[in-house]
Amino acid sequence: MNFTPELPFDGGRVRPMTYDDVDALFAIYQHPEIPGQHVPDNKDNLTRMVDLSVQMAATQRGMMWLLEVGSDDNYEVQGMVSAYDWQPSQLRTMLRVDGLPQLSAEHRAAALNTCLEFMSGKYHLRNFGYQWIAGQDEALKTLLQDCGFSLCATLRDGWRTGTETFADVVQFHKLLDVAKPVPGRLGEQDNPGQNLDKSFADKNGGGAA
Amino acid sequence: MNWNFSAGNFSLRLPVTDQDGDALYALMSVQEQVDHLPRLAMSVSAQALDELRRMAMRFETREAAFWLVEGMYDKQLVARIGIQKINWMQLSAQLQWELSAAVELPELQEIFPAIANFIFDELNLHRLEMRLREGSDKHEQLLKNLGFTFEGVLPAQVEYEGESVNMAVWSLLSSDRSA
Repeated sequence: MNFTPELPFDGGRVRPMTYDDVDALFAIYQHPEIPGQHVPDNKDNLTRMVDLSVQMAATQRGMMWLLEVGSDDNYEVQGMVSAYDWQPSQLRTMLRVDGLPQLSAEHRAAALNTCLEFMSGKYHLRNFGYQWIAGQDEALKTLLQDCGFSLCATLRDGWRTGTETFADVVQFHKLLDVAKPVPGRLGEQDNPGQNLDKSFADKNGGGAA
Repeated sequence: MNWNFSAGNFSLRLPVTDQDGDALYALMSVQEQVDHLPRLAMSVSAQALDELRRMAMRFETREAAFWLVEGMYDKQLVARIGIQKINWMQLSAQLQWELSAAVELPELQEIFPAIANFIFDELNLHRLEMRLREGSDKHEQLLKNLGFTFEGVLPAQVEYEGESVNMAVWSLLSSDRSA
């Protein structure tokens, strides 16, 4: 089963990872965006990463997409978008984009927004966080604010970059002003499920007890 | 490593599952003592036993450590203070406390330095943070007086009583102590 959809955005697409993408992932990780991030010297763990991307999505812990720029059948991998620390009950997740140097700000923002909108529509998430770590490109902060994120907290020495070195983490959040879904069991509200007393047309419940 | 230690007129020890239930229940069944987490106060004593078992399991995996703070002489439980979400890679942890009415700033100034020393010197962690419900003025004032720095407010972090709750973040670094 595939829980990670392919989604188009203006100028490219995001799509789920496959084992054929190990080389592309290896190339992305040769250009770590985050200070202190280890550069892998072999591809062994990247195969495992593809497995994990499927497992994370299936268990609603996270989701990972490969970010491609281009059109039709001419796409070039330029990065990846990740949702992690997904808290389904709290309707929130953290987002992250890792890009190759050639990934433009426009494509980065478009891919980020596309994934955000998908997770909002499909899973009703309404709180999206993004951590910018001191040492990353300063322009990312502006990009995030242009995407509707607000700076909420600066976590001092929140990211370890070496044995005894640390970097501040600037945490942004974007809250969507949408109504929360009303919790209900299978068969309640507009989902008839196996409740045979429930009418398809009666979205407000009712039916014989 | 000895996880039990004393601090002035108080002793701090790891809980014992089959003997601390009543005292823990008495502490955590008062709503105003857990409001800042935020959490509903315990309403049946079995919850204390469940919490003690949970603490033991989390300690075994070194994911968390909670200390019961007792008076040195009367052995009355006055607080539970602990660290959780210990991240051994990032050398960070989250502080959590439930304080009885008997613990105010003077008592915390006696207790907390011993805990901080243990966390920073024995466990070699670097960053200690507390996340608490925005507007928990009494606790935020205590943190400020203990040397914590306010870092901001993370919005809509938990659902509590049908409302999204913002969490204020305060932190203390190992390097703050020598500053």
